[in-house]
Amino acid sequence: MDSLFSQLSVLGSSLVLLFGLILLWRRGISAYVGAFAAQSMVLSAVIAIVGYFGNDHELYWVAGTLFLLKGLVIPRLLRRMERRFAVEREMEPYVNTASSLVVSGLLVLFGYMVTRPLVGLSQLPTRAGMPLAMGLVLVSLFVVISRKKALTQVIGFLMLENGLALLAVLGTYGIPLIVELGVALDVLMGFLVMQIFVYRIHETFESIDVEQLNRLRY
Amino acid sequence: MGYVLEVAQAALALALAPGLAGLIRWLKARLQNRRGAPVWQPYWELAKLFQKEVVVSSNASWLFRAAPFIVFASTTAVTFLVPILAVPLPFDGLGDLLVVVYLLLLSTFFLSLGGLDPGSPFGGMGASREMTVAALAEPTVALAIFALALAAGSTNLGQIVARTMADPGAFLSPGHLLAFGALFIVTLAETGRLPIDNPATHLELTMIHEAMVLEYSGRYLALIEWAAAVKLFIFFALLGNLFIPWGVSVVLTPTTVAVAVASLLVKLVVLAAVVAVLETRIAKLRLFRVPELLSVSFVLALLAVTSSFLLK
Amino acid sequence: MLGGYGVGAVGALLMPGGRAGRGIAAFGMVWGGAAGLALSLQVLLGGAAFTLEVPTLLSIADGLAFRLDALGAFFLGLVGLLAIPCGVYGFEYVGAYEGRYSLRLLGAMLNMFLLTMSLVPCADNVLTFLLMWEGMSLTSYFLVLTEADEPDTIAAAGWYLAMTHVGLALALAGFLILAANATTTAFGDLRTAAASLTPAMRNTVFLLALAGFGSKAGIVPLHVWLPRAHPAAPSHVSALMSGVMIKLGVYGLLRIGLDLLGGGPAWWGALLIGLGALSAVVGVLYALMENDLKRLLAYSSVENIGLVFIGLGAGFLFLGLDATAAALVAFAAALYHALNHAAFKSLLFLGAGSVLHATRTRDMNRLGGLIRGLPWTAAFFLVGALAIAGLPPLNGFVSEWLLFQSLLPGIESRAPMVAPLMTLAVSVLALTAGLAAAGFVKAFGITFLAIPRSPAAECAHEAPVSMRVGMGILAVACAVFGLAAVVVMPALAAALAGSARLPVPVPGFGSGVSLSMPSGFARMSPTLVALGLILITGAAWLVVRLFASRWPVRVSATWGCGRVVQTPRMEYTSTAFAEPLRRVFAELYRPTQDLSIDFHPESRYFVQSIEYRSEIVPWFERYLYAPLVTRVRRWSIWVRALQSGSAHAYLTYLVIALLGLLTLLIVRPG
Repeated sequence: MDSLFSQLSVLGSSLVLLFGLILLWRRGISAYVGAFAAQSMVLSAVIAIVGYFGNDHELYWVAGTLFLLKGLVIPRLLRRMERRFAVEREMEPYVNTASSLVVSGLLVLFGYMVTRPLVGLSQLPTRAGMPLAMGLVLVSLFVVISRKKALTQVIGFLMLENGLALLAVLGTYGIPLIVELGVALDVLMGFLVMQIFVYRIHETFESIDVEQLNRLRY
Repeated sequence: MGYVLEVAQAALALALAPGLAGLIRWLKARLQNRRGAPVWQPYWELAKLFQKEVVVSSNASWLFRAAPFIVFASTTAVTFLVPILAVPLPFDGLGDLLVVVYLLLLSTFFLSLGGLDPGSPFGGMGASREMTVAALAEPTVALAIFALALAAGSTNLGQIVARTMADPGAFLSPGHLLAFGALFIVTLAETGRLPIDNPATHLELTMIHEAMVLEYSGRYLALIEWAAAVKLFIFFALLGNLFIPWGVSVVLTPTTVAVAVASLLVKLVVLAAVVAVLETRIAKLRLFRVPELLSVSFVLALLAVTSSFLLK
Repeated sequence: MLGGYGVGAVGALLMPGGRAGRGIAAFGMVWGGAAGLALSLQVLLGGAAFTLEVPTLLSIADGLAFRLDALGAFFLGLVGLLAIPCGVYGFEYVGAYEGRYSLRLLGAMLNMFLLTMSLVPCADNVLTFLLMWEGMSLTSYFLVLTEADEPDTIAAAGWYLAMTHVGLALALAGFLILAANATTTAFGDLRTAAASLTPAMRNTVFLLALAGFGSKAGIVPLHVWLPRAHPAAPSHVSALMSGVMIKLGVYGLLRIGLDLLGGGPAWWGALLIGLGALSAVVGVLYALMENDLKRLLAYSSVENIGLVFIGLGAGFLFLGLDATAAALVAFAAALYHALNHAAFKSLLFLGAGSVLHATRTRDMNRLGGLIRGLPWTAAFFLVGALAIAGLPPLNGFVSEWLLFQSLLPGIESRAPMVAPLMTLAVSVLALTAGLAAAGFVKAFGITFLAIPRSPAAECAHEAPVSMRVGMGILAVACAVFGLAAVVVMPALAAALAGSARLPVPVPGFGSGVSLSMPSGFARMSPTLVALGLILITGAAWLVVRLFASRWPVRVSATWGCGRVVQTPRMEYTSTAFAEPLRRVFAELYRPTQDLSIDFHPESRYFVQSIEYRSEIVPWFERYLYAPLVTRVRRWSIWVRALQSGSAHAYLTYLVIALLGLLTLLIVRPG
């Protein structure tokens, strides 16, 4: 039983990380939105599994909220934004695709080294997935700094949230429902604010290329 | 007894390989709403090619004529080393997974030289592209091998198979699955399948493998085509038997060998179907997008290795 | 041995030139080489060290002392092994220099070069070591300068001289720190004194040795002299330099790091692996882009030294983690790769020399089709190319297999940084293997295959017999080192056993024809693989011959998609071959692009001519060396002010120095 739990949790974490890597590989925003939706659904599945094996029924609510909010609602909003801004693809990021993928591999290795002491201390069967969650956090940060389009950065930020949630769940079997609700609300507010910003950027520059913001200097 | 099995295994590989290529072609045809040539068409093609006249370029040297034999020999040599039907093999001590990979690189090397020899621009183009793809696929293969070897404690193929058979739970481990994903992408790259290379194209500028063999004809072409089919067979056998080894016979009795053959056929058909569906669904990548795909496979292999030593 | 080289050197100087002079020089090399090889084999296989002391000569700093132990014997054997074919080859090769350059000087310098190189591994105290090292550097400087009429040679020799002396200075500093606590500077005393050094001092010594010997070995970023000096030197000299001289850098590092210091903390190994991986990737990437055949080979040497350093680093790492058995295997694998590299790289350089001899050009874009004019050279070069690409069953494959297998135990280690480091090392190893294969398809294919691209290539003639014999010896050596791996590995391990804490009873490396790792991790047999390949090729040929040869082969023009005539301009060039890889790695290469279009004066829609120029300048030269060189130039102009030519100024300097020394005496009496 224990090892099945452990295997499933690592499997789930790997899938979550792999969906994150799609942001570095594909170029179309719709692929990103799809990857994010899938990632959130897998994440909620992992939380549900932890809730089942860990006998913590609060986590089912957390999983449900996450599924609804990040698996359904936010992707729908993102797709609406995407339609409004026409299809802009990530054609020339600051770091090209092959190099980004290699860098992300190195970041995952780095995440592994960073969480090594944590994994050593922890006794939980889910501890093996923590380096992958850390890797997702680092990769999302890398996405935010190396991609030019504002929508990509928004999605990167949302994936960062996912990574942190995964890390919390795997490391400590989750966080109290109240805190999770608070965080979810935060995310939603932040997201709506960002939506307004992106809309304004598009209005001013006819493009959502963040580089254009430095035209504001003149 | 084991040596007889070795020879039988190699003979089986040589015999089934063209059929495998024919199967993928037939499945693709059916998926595209055509009738398609029968599954054993490649056998007729090989027979025909062996009987046809050979035309050799006036610019070519002895290397051009020797290359098909060397390519064929190195691919056939690999069939002796790969666990197709049974484990352990008496030739296990001859070569492990690294030897297999480098023997395949040997065949690519000579194929590229054979492409450069006649001095045609298409041959040069094919050779240069093929070596690029092969060079970029190498790190993935090495890391995938290491992920498997770490789990099994050796790079010896028989031992890897034996270890996975002994521990069914390991099948679901992320290291295993990630390594499978990485090796699957490498299979597509090394055997010249979509999305890296279109084996059915007739447009020279889109060719990689076909461009190198453009000048070959008659029995030389037959040997090269056969070697390509055997390479496909080897990769499928590796994917099947290393990752899903149940069916491979451990003790040599007629029933276990029959079961091994049957399970091999099943695995080959399944993999052929997957590849056929994939080839029908996706378009060929531009050459300069291929390294991106290979980087994805590299990251998968890297994750496979990290997972392998994560779960220790 | 002394006699052999001595005869060669003196004889070459005395003889007036012509065939006899060349013959004496070559004979001297062969004799000296054979003697050196015999001596080294005797020590390696026999086990006893060989000593010789001449304390009265240069009696300050303890005179000269020679001691040949197993580690030194390996490197001595390497020198001897390569001296023989290069000597034979050189006999005919330098015939091309008749009348233009001094053959006497060349012959004498070459023999002295070999002599000093042979004596470096025998040195048993600091003075001897440095003396021989300096001798080696100076003689090789003169050798590089042989073709002084070529435009790049003098600059190349200048770079070489500068860097080798910087390396010497650093190594000297390392030795001096090491000798701080010792009574004499004999290596034996240094070894015992090393135990009492503080860790900080040990680290400093190691780093100085790494910098000093690393520059000789050709590690990035200290490798910049390699692609300049090796192509400029005559081909058999390049073969010797690339084959043996850079291995002496490895020897120096091993002597100081392993033998005298007895290993150190694990981060030494990690540093070596990092530098090795960097050199391997940089070397192979720049080799791929080169159009000059000898520069391609030089960069490839950088790559292979990187691989050797990866093995060395793994050894030091395991030693630092007290996994001595794994360390022994790693060191032995590194030495094996050094041996193999010496064999196939010299073969390739000699082949390139033969091409140069025949066509007077090294530019691959002007060669082609040489397989018809130079069949033997082509065959030997092919063997060398197969070996360096690491393809079975030749020696390159065996040493790469061993390097892989020696890294594998590291991935399982529990120590913090080891597993990721090993993973990266494995990926780098595989990547360079693939890229090296691509690079040598280019080198062999563009140079020897297809149609000649210039008149020079069209009328190329085969090399004279002695050159062919020289290359043949090395080709056979490549095959032998691959097939006889089971014999070579234990010998190498024996060379290392006993140093530091490496285990003395050497573990077995397989039996019969099968090579296996001592831990039983893996097995393979190069001999049987070779046999299998030959058998299957033969069987296939026979079957095809018997059953499928109804029609004879018809020769016709290359298919051209409907075009009428084929010119050499239609073939793939060497730049074109490497272009996909150039694009993939464009971020690392950062090629400059220059496009100038001449429009017709009447209208911009008509183009008169287009000129495109793209150049790859290695980025460490642009960002590291160029500023450094400018700064050094500025300083030297400033320092030149000291040399005012006035006698008064010089006397003043003398007096100031004297006063300074006297002050020191007052401040620190005794």
